[in-house]
Amino acid sequence: MNINLLTLSEITGVAGEAGDFTVTVRKKPRYIDMDKCIACGICAEKCPKLVSDEYNAGTARRKSAYIQYGQTVPLKYAIDPDTCIFIQKGKGKCLACEKFCPTGAINFQDKEELLEFNVGAVILSPGHKSFDPSGIDFYGYKTIPDVLTGLEYERMLSPSGPVRGHLEKPSSGKTPENIAWIQCVGSRNTNQCDNGYCSSVCCMYAMKQALVTETHIPGGGRQTIFFMDMRCHGKEFELYYNYATERGIRFIRARPHTIEPGPGGSGVAMEYFTEDGRKVREEFDLTVLSTGLEAPRDAIDLAEKTGIRLSPYRFAETGGFEPVFSSKEGIYIGGSFAGPMNIPTAVANASAAAGQAARALVSARNTLTKQKTYPPEFNLTGQKPKIGVFVCSCGVNIAATVDVNALVDYAKTLPGVAYAENNLFSCSTDAQKQLADVIRKQNLNRVVIAACSPRTHEPLFQDTLMEQGINGYLVEMANIRNHNAWVHQKNPEQATQKAKDQVRMAVAKAQTLYPLERMEVPVVGRSLVIGGGVAGMSAALGLADQGYDTVLVEHSGELGGNAKNLHTTARGEPIRPMLDKMIRDVQNHPKIDALTNARVLNATGSVGHFESDIEAGGETRRISYGAAVLATGASESVPDEYRYGTDDRVYTHLGFDRLMTETPEKAAAAGSAVFIQCVGSRDEKRPWCSRLCCTHSVKAALDLKEKNPEMDVFILYRDMRTYGLNEDLYTRARNAGVLFIRYDLENKPQVAAEGDDLIVRVFDPVSRKKIAIDTDLLILAAAVVPNNVEELVNIYRCATNQDGFLNEAHPKLRPVDMAADGLFVAGIGAYPKPIGESISQAQAAASRAGAILAQPVMHLDAIKSHVTQYCDGCAICLDACPYDAISITTHAQNGRTAKRVETDKALCKGCGICQAACPKGGILVHGFTIEQLQAQVHAALDLPQAMTAS
Amino acid sequence: MPTGFHLRLPVTGGNPMIQIRIGRLAWQIGVHRNTVGNWIRTGALAARPIAGRRYAIEKNRLIRFLASRGVDEALAAEIAENCEPLRHRKEEEQPKQPPMKTKEVSMSNKTIGSVMVVGGGIASIQASLDLADSGYYVHLVEKNAGIGGRMAQLDKTFPTNDCAM
Repeated sequence: MNINLLTLSEITGVAGEAGDFTVTVRKKPRYIDMDKCIACGICAEKCPKLVSDEYNAGTARRKSAYIQYGQTVPLKYAIDPDTCIFIQKGKGKCLACEKFCPTGAINFQDKEELLEFNVGAVILSPGHKSFDPSGIDFYGYKTIPDVLTGLEYERMLSPSGPVRGHLEKPSSGKTPENIAWIQCVGSRNTNQCDNGYCSSVCCMYAMKQALVTETHIPGGGRQTIFFMDMRCHGKEFELYYNYATERGIRFIRARPHTIEPGPGGSGVAMEYFTEDGRKVREEFDLTVLSTGLEAPRDAIDLAEKTGIRLSPYRFAETGGFEPVFSSKEGIYIGGSFAGPMNIPTAVANASAAAGQAARALVSARNTLTKQKTYPPEFNLTGQKPKIGVFVCSCGVNIAATVDVNALVDYAKTLPGVAYAENNLFSCSTDAQKQLADVIRKQNLNRVVIAACSPRTHEPLFQDTLMEQGINGYLVEMANIRNHNAWVHQKNPEQATQKAKDQVRMAVAKAQTLYPLERMEVPVVGRSLVIGGGVAGMSAALGLADQGYDTVLVEHSGELGGNAKNLHTTARGEPIRPMLDKMIRDVQNHPKIDALTNARVLNATGSVGHFESDIEAGGETRRISYGAAVLATGASESVPDEYRYGTDDRVYTHLGFDRLMTETPEKAAAAGSAVFIQCVGSRDEKRPWCSRLCCTHSVKAALDLKEKNPEMDVFILYRDMRTYGLNEDLYTRARNAGVLFIRYDLENKPQVAAEGDDLIVRVFDPVSRKKIAIDTDLLILAAAVVPNNVEELVNIYRCATNQDGFLNEAHPKLRPVDMAADGLFVAGIGAYPKPIGESISQAQAAASRAGAILAQPVMHLDAIKSHVTQYCDGCAICLDACPYDAISITTHAQNGRTAKRVETDKALCKGCGICQAACPKGGILVHGFTIEQLQAQVHAALDLPQAMTAS
Repeated sequence: MPTGFHLRLPVTGGNPMIQIRIGRLAWQIGVHRNTVGNWIRTGALAARPIAGRRYAIEKNRLIRFLASRGVDEALAAEIAENCEPLRHRKEEEQPKQPPMKTKEVSMSNKTIGSVMVVGGGIASIQASLDLADSGYYVHLVEKNAGIGGRMAQLDKTFPTNDCAM
């Protein structure tokens, strides 16, 4: 409601300054009236013009009248003016769509519009473009039919793609069994293209495709990935790599140098050299090029229009400590426009950009937005249930298996049903409108939706009912898609029978539904941030600048965390001045209360209104807050190998950074230096990749070379994971003469003191010899281990993963939310990451938390327990309740004191355990009472409804 | 919609340079696009190519030319009138008229409580939802016919192998 969606539009210019921009937008004609289009698809069916489909990366064709894909938002067709026969050829031509459109939505008079908007800030998140390998001839893309790009193959795997997920070789149509992936196509390459960076996502997507492919080929097939370094640097990525290895995916460290058509023009023949120097020729059925990410095509244009600066790779330039700030004030960068990144990082970055924009515009908050209001509810007391049944086809998802028309006819025969109909997508905007009309016309007072999961769609239908003045809890859903059509595709007849059972049950329950009231809880406009490192401080500043009082709790005696020991960022920006400024800002901010030597003792309540006791400096105080950010951080592990602790020439990263900050001349005096990577990471004890060490070592090696170009610097590594734009550092280090030697977990380097010398021995896979390095400095990339958060996990009932890092609610789409509402996670307590990413994640957490604190009240779900007259205070439910929501009280009854339980609606989650535990119906959960469940069970068994009368 | 001022940019009088597109012009006057292309290629229609497959020409010259090819003068004038003016970057940076303020923003002259989000992919959607929830009006600009971006093209996402939709 507060978002104005402008499709087929581009910005043409930005004028003005931060806080007050005027943006002009060119809105191209759609040629279809959005208000009239009901997305029936007839225009596309009748349109005679077939064109290449960008959505399917050109692997399929669509019509000139089209929607991008079935779930497109807005679900409205459009006509592509570049290919439409009428638009291109003019008078008297075609017009099939206009002739057949049942609602008269086609409008060829539609004109381009220039619109002007006055806005306070601009967020640029145009995304990226997939690299096009057709310019590099030796990959054979476009000349060998069985060579595909990653995106094309992704579409091939998809059930909505050109072959509906049934893999086939483009050359012959046969199922491919032997598939190869070639990594780093259009990435880490300054020879055939100008993309010196690492695209950061391709290793993982290739592995995902290889694993998914297994399930698409009878017998599993055979998958091979040709790579340079496997870069599994994200949270639990390494586990996925190990899993892929276990599943038998073949990983070969090589770049095929010759790629030719296979025998008879079908398949692909490749030649490559193995690590021990043998030349191998191998044939594959299909080859997927793991194409990288590039700056969007219109990046330069966009930069000119908005006045921002681009990096040499045409990504947007951002600051190391200000990861979402563009070079122009008031314009922020979200997502992969800042550089290649995976989905969770892009989502977190976008939230951070939103948070920073909100921070800048705080004085104008709520000036242009509207709150949704609903008409007063009709009083339904005494009215007989009049049920409407709406059966969704879900496109073909349901209709292909379940006979929806028979289901509608059946529903009409059920008791209490006044109306039944079928919709193509019951959740679509036009079906919602239709639903509202029917409710009004037929005077319905209960609604049954036979469609998909209430988890995802119930709120939508509740909203539609409320807009019609009907209580939102008078809707019941029958999940005939997930529970039926999807799992019974092979038995359509029985599936239809099951759908009838499901609808009968839902109707029986709908008869017993009664209106419920949502509890409103005022939101406490204060936040709590746990952890006083860079992430915690960034989150606190983000929240405080949005106008929310913030309590920052740091368990140690001072703010700053790990950053106190860091020298520079990967880009060479010194960390200390930034940190000192940040600490000053936090300490001087009127809205931040920074507590050191402090800890959180307990927490009660839920989103919008938590309460906690906080102990700080020996005193305990109680605070209430609406949301909390957990930025608990991590530490550097203490290595127990490579003579660490027994030889003072052996350092960890943090120790070495201290050396570089305090006595750089001592470091520069060394004649040689050796870095060993993955010390305590990626092994059995700590299976994760610590993500930041590769970049850190390379940067440190460069610093040493800069101070003393004569120094011999070695980096012993397993896979170089200088992901994203950090790859440039790796290139620079090699150019500067830093020597990189790869080792395996089975063949780790050995360190020994021989006389006064510190000797590192390692097997060099290139010369295939064991070499010994006499070194003056040995720097160990010690693993990053999460701080112990057991206490907080118990207090907030949140969770960590098996490695002890705090868990997010969803690994892709909710990267800073925690599973418990109102809690957010930021920084390296969630996963190791460099300082810029920590800041971005913290700003994202502040943005997400701010969105909660901005609400005046929280509406709690009305599905809650309530105590009935049958309760005799036996208290069985007290122990059963996992949320401590039930307490026991005494009250006077006929002159005697009697015991009863009471439930706290704010704490109750409506799980129903109390109802199941209670032997006498003394406590029930609204919306799932025993009577309501019984009605459903009776309907399922087709018993008479005798028991449900009340 | 609260910030509801969608105004067409004023078309200045006189004889300004305007932008034309071959396909569009051909459609408007009912000839084949190649015909228009040939006029330009042979120099009969004195338009010079500019960015984005468009051509720049003086307004009056276009009207005169169209009239000479038998197009009704009123129609020719109308076509020319509806063409976008050719604008230089310098001009673009100065708004043609002072930005109008809607009633809702009267309390603050400097800061506008709305944000323009450019792009319609997963990042833009997230930024827009966060801002709308935080009390700011959002204009989301997407160049395609629907939002969803790159992620909508993905089949599954690891590590959960969830459907990307």
